[in-house]
This record gives sequence, C-alpha cells and structure tokens, in this order.
Amino acid sequence: MQPANAPVWRRLLRAALALPPAYAGLLVLLLLAAALRPQLLSAMLLPLIARQAAPLGLAVIGQSLVMRARSIDLSSGGVIVAVSYLLTSGYFEVSDATAMGLCVALGLVVGVVNGVLIVQTRASSMIVTLAVSMILTGIVVALSQFRAPGDAPEFLRELARLRVGGVPLPVLVWLGALVPAALLLRYSAYGRSLDAVGSNPQAAALSGLPHLRVVFAGHVASALVSVLCGFILVGFVGKGSITLGQDLALNSLAAAILGGVNFGSGRGGMAGPAVAAFMLTFLFNFLTSLGLGEPGRLMLQGAIIAAAALVYSRRR
Amino acid sequence: MTALRSGIRRTTLALPVVLFALLALAAPGFLAPQNLANIIGQITALLIVSLGQMLVALVAGIDLSVGSVMSLAGSLVATQADPLLGIGLALLLGLLVGVVNGLGVAVAGIHPLIMTLATATFLQGLAYLVLPIPGGEVPASLRSLVNGTLWGVPQPLLWCALCAGAVALLLHHTRLGLHLFAVGAQARSAQLNGVPVVAVTVSAYVACSLLAVVAGIYLAARVASGDPTMGASFGLESVTAVALGGVQLTGGVGSVLGVVTGALSLGLMTNGINLFGISPFLRGALTGVLLLAAVCAQRRKVVGL
Repeated sequence: MQPANAPVWRRLLRAALALPPAYAGLLVLLLLAAALRPQLLSAMLLPLIARQAAPLGLAVIGQSLVMRARSIDLSSGGVIVAVSYLLTSGYFEVSDATAMGLCVALGLVVGVVNGVLIVQTRASSMIVTLAVSMILTGIVVALSQFRAPGDAPEFLRELARLRVGGVPLPVLVWLGALVPAALLLRYSAYGRSLDAVGSNPQAAALSGLPHLRVVFAGHVASALVSVLCGFILVGFVGKGSITLGQDLALNSLAAAILGGVNFGSGRGGMAGPAVAAFMLTFLFNFLTSLGLGEPGRLMLQGAIIAAAALVYSRRR
Repeated sequence: MTALRSGIRRTTLALPVVLFALLALAAPGFLAPQNLANIIGQITALLIVSLGQMLVALVAGIDLSVGSVMSLAGSLVATQADPLLGIGLALLLGLLVGVVNGLGVAVAGIHPLIMTLATATFLQGLAYLVLPIPGGEVPASLRSLVNGTLWGVPQPLLWCALCAGAVALLLHHTRLGLHLFAVGAQARSAQLNGVPVVAVTVSAYVACSLLAVVAGIYLAARVASGDPTMGASFGLESVTAVALGGVQLTGGVGSVLGVVTGALSLGLMTNGINLFGISPFLRGALTGVLLLAAVCAQRRKVVGL
C-alpha cells in the first residue's frame, strides 16, 4: 500500500508548496499568536478582526480583477475620502439614500475616467489612479475647510454593528461578494477573457477578444468596490474623516500579491486574496498587541510588498 | 537626432513662458523681487528631485520613493548636531536606497512602480522612527547655505545651477550618459552591443536617490527643521514636472532643459495659487490634473501598468 500512497502524499505536498504565500503566512501567524498572544484567538476577538478585515477583503476583490488584466487601481483612497465627505458633511442637503446614490454615481464616474484614460490614451494605470486619488483628496480637503465632517448616517452605523448569527454583517457582505466573484472568474466568458488577456494581451487582442473592454470593466468594478468599502468604513468610524481608508490601496496591492494574484497571472483564485486580506489584518493586530507603532507598521508593509513581488518575479 | 532625444517641443517651452506672462499681467505683486526670490526658493527642491526622476525615466523606470528619501534625509540632518555627520548619513542612505531599487528592477525584474512604492512605504516608516513629529534643528552652517546671496546671486539659484550642470555633464559628456539613452531606447539592443544594462540601470536609480537626498537637505535647511512627511508630495510632483518637460516615461527621451521648464511650470502654478488666494489644498488637485494631462499626452503601446 505504501508505494501507491506515496505519489498522492507527494502530490499533496507539491500542491501545498504551490499555494500562495498567504496560506503559509497565516498559519505561521496563528501559531505565533497562539504562543505569544492567545487572547487574539478568542471567540470574542476573532470575529472583530474578521470584521476589520472586511473592507480590505472587498478592496482586494476589485484590485485582483484589475491586476489580472495587467493593470492596477490605487485610487481607493481618494474615492473613500470623497464617499466619507458626501455621506457626512451635509454639504448637499439630501436624504441619506440620495447621498449613497451620489456616492455610487461618483464611483461609476471615477471608474469610467480611470478606464477611459488607461484604455484610450494608454496612460500608466498606476499614475492615472494615483492622480485621480490626489485630485479627489485635494478637492475634499479644500472643501472640508469650510465644513467640518459630521456624523455618519445612522443606519450605516447600525449595519456595521449588526451581527447575524454571531457573525458581523460586514463579514457576511464580504463573503457574499466573494462567491459571485469566484463564480464569475471561473465560469463566465468575462472570467475566461480576463485570464487570456492577463496571460498574453497581444494574443488575446489578435484572437478577437475584447481586450480593452476587459481592462475597462475591471476598473469600473474596482471603483464601485471602493465605494462599498467607503460605506463600511464610514459605518465603522461613525463620523467623517479625511484620513479614512488611506492605507487601503497599498494594503490591497500587498494582499493581492500575497494571495497569488500577480500581474497577468490568474493563480490564487478568489480565496487566496481573501486569506491574504485576513492575514494582513491579523498581522497588524498582532503587531499592535506586541507594541509596534506606526513606523514599524509602514516599514513592514513596504517589506511585505517588496518580498511578495520578489517571490513572484523569481518564480516566473 | 538631438531634437528627438531631448523631447523638447514648442509647447514644452511655451508653457512656463505663457504662465509667467499671465501671472505678470493678472497677479499684482508677482513681479516684486521678494516674490520672484520666493519662487526660486520653492522651485529649487522640485527641480533637483525632478532631475533625478528624469535620469530614471531615461532608462524607462520611475522612482516613487524620492519623496520618502527627501523626508528621511531632512529628518537625518535635523536630528544630527554635526552637519557633516548628518549629510554623510543621508548620502549613505541615498546610495543604499538607489542600489536596492536598481537591483530590484534590473536584476529581480520587479516592476519599477511596485519596487519603489515598496521602498517608499518602508522609508516613510523609517522617517517616522528617526523623527516622530516635525521638529529638530538644522545646524546653522547648513542654513546659511540656502538663504541669502553669494556674489549677488540668490543661493538657491546656485543649488539649481550646480545640480542641473552636473546632470547635463553626466548626460552629454560621459559614457554613462550615452548608455542611459541607449538602455532606455532599447535595452535588448544595448545589451547586445555590450552596454552593461544592469550597471547602467542601477546607476540611474542611485543618482536619482542621491539627488533626492540633496533636495531633502536643501528643503530641511530652508525651513530650518525636519518633518517626517516633508517630501511626501514630491514623488508624484517630480513625475509631473518630468512629464510636462517632454521626458518620455517609456525611456530614452529627455533633457535637462525640459525638466527645468517642467519644474518652472509647476512652481509658477503654485505661486499663482498663492497670489490669487486659492485654497492651498487645491494645489494637490491641480497637480493631479496636470499630471493626468501630461501623462495622457504621451501615448504608449502597452495598456495597464
């Protein structure tokens, strides 16, 4: 029996080694936490950490759609600040529902602008999205000089606090978005085109695939996801802020790479980035519990992005 | 051939001239000697860091870490009592950052935007570690190098001339300069013709980081203290200045004169915002619009990154 079993065992080992770094990272982290800070793994704190990871988890879904098509979206910071301003400043004297509608419209506009500039004028996606984020942030900061941010809409705060069967609602939203996204990637024509465009854009274009439309759709989806993240974050904090979600863009980039999504590579599926989002959030909580401050957090974030990028460029 | 390689077009040169004329006509007090001296003082840091950005752009790279390098260099000179030690540490840091960025891009094959974004984040953390809150004091000997005049010339202007001259010399009178253009135009052909592509790329990133260190020291000396986020806006601003100056971000095309016009245009815009009493926070938004316009004018072949 032993010889027949060995290849299976070895195949399993090989499959484990081929997994994105996020899985191994999470395992190591959980073991470390169990040894050093067991209270982090308690039934009270774990759901809270998962709730905190929800915005990042959602952002990574958008980011990975864009990255699979060899593009990138770093505009989430500006979108979230604008969403926070629209919802909390009372600048436009409208009902909460209308304000949320305006936010979605804003997300649509940002996505379309990003997409058009990247697809039509072929500008670098990183520069375009950073510039768009800069424009949005600049306008909001200039506007907030005249009107201090107020409280978030009551029902957003309620929703952020709500639990269904012990699981926080934001986590359910996250999981609820993951499933259709994963199905879309695996079974839809869009998902197949995305894989083809990512692995070889020229070949995809020559084969008649809607190369540019795939990139464009990714950017619109990613901007809309940023708006959703903004809703959740505003609900968490309960009031407007001009620093809300500023590290989401970088963290979603790190989580996507750690989760196995590389520019033009469809590995890792949707589960990898989700695990990576939880891993990063857990990591920052763990390090905070060990007394690591803002400087250490930034240094670690930079090191993680560089290390993950390095691992993937070596494997290619 | 040189016209193609410099990337300078009539619009590149006309932009700062038009801006200057507009401000001179419309903004009262624009032509006052004090205001002109202010503009020069403000532009100097941007010009120096943009010169470095151009060197990286020549080899088809980009360096978003210059902002953090500036902040860190400024924090270092503001926390060291001995100016020479502070400058030495800052230059050493610049060398190290340039080598890491260059090796990451040229040897490991990481996309320059990702690589330098990672180092930028790391160095921002390091800057907070060196100087948690704005403060410290820049030694008086350093401060005297950036204020006032020497032989009747404002000292910031001398910093500009020195750096621009050095970069022009590097580009047009050294072997490395020629190689930078060659690698940027076609890295593979350059490699086949015996150009050490890795060494040239690393040199470009090192030179860029060192110029960012100089800009950081200048800025810290000018405000007399350090600030861990002092340079944060310079990463994208230098890319804007370079793109406005006709430097192609796809490599191989660029000139010192172009960078000077680009930095001048951005500086004049900032000054105009001040003079017209527009909220300074809108400056970031306007820079973003200029950046979009400049980048979109350079149509590339690839879509995406």
